[in-house]
Amino acid sequence: MSITPQHTTEITVLYFAGASTATGLSSQQIQLPAPPSEPFKLSQLSALLVSLHPATNISKVLETSQWSVDAEMVDDPNAVVLKGGEEVAIIPPVSGG
Amino acid sequence: MSGPSPYSVDARSETDWGICVLTHTPLDVPQIIQSVGDPAAGATAVFIGTTRNSFKGRTVTRLDYQAFSKLAINTMSHILVDAVHQISRSDHHTSDNPVPSLIRCALHHRLGTVPVGEPSIVIAVSSPHRKEAFVACESILEQVKRKAQIWKREFYEGDREEDAEWKANE
Repeated sequence: MSITPQHTTEITVLYFAGASTATGLSSQQIQLPAPPSEPFKLSQLSALLVSLHPATNISKVLETSQWSVDAEMVDDPNAVVLKGGEEVAIIPPVSGG
Repeated sequence: MSGPSPYSVDARSETDWGICVLTHTPLDVPQIIQSVGDPAAGATAVFIGTTRNSFKGRTVTRLDYQAFSKLAINTMSHILVDAVHQISRSDHHTSDNPVPSLIRCALHHRLGTVPVGEPSIVIAVSSPHRKEAFVACESILEQVKRKAQIWKREFYEGDREEDAEWKANE
């Protein structure tokens, strides 16, 4: 039996504003699906988060949100592959000022 | 319920173009204006955004601001750089004019609970002449409202705390 170090396939998800209210969390460690038969795209993360937070309105929040990975805004979630170790934030529509 | 986000913290970024601050401390307007003061400045434009006591007829009791500080402070710095570049490209500035179009910019945004009537954002811009200062000040404000990773939650009188709504800028 082999032991895989967990940190290699885990990401940290940050929840702000409505995403935080929906989940009751400000951050969460999430295990990427294993074994990684094919690259896990950022665009696939929404479905995973919805499955982890059933009976919340997180899917509604995600519909209008953007992503950041390691504190950089993402233009195209289909073009970003998560490998593990990343800090991914849900960025709902902003309301500063 | 989640408490205050550990990612919404005080942050500060200082560049050649000016200073950006995210803080839980009440904003000190005279100090911020003073920070852009310069003998070469003939104009200082200031915008102060304060929390309003009503929204669509409902009484607002307080507002909470949250930021993803690490990202928001970078966004704010880029907004200042963009404003400076935009102004220096304008008609008023030609290559044979060595005087900078803008002297200093300061962009401060408050985090945490902001009681009604207190400033949530203060922008101060100094420049040799008034027009550039006005234009840059407004441009910085509009970009912050569009781009900075900062969120506002409004609490209304008579509502349960957990029903308070996270706003979205137009």
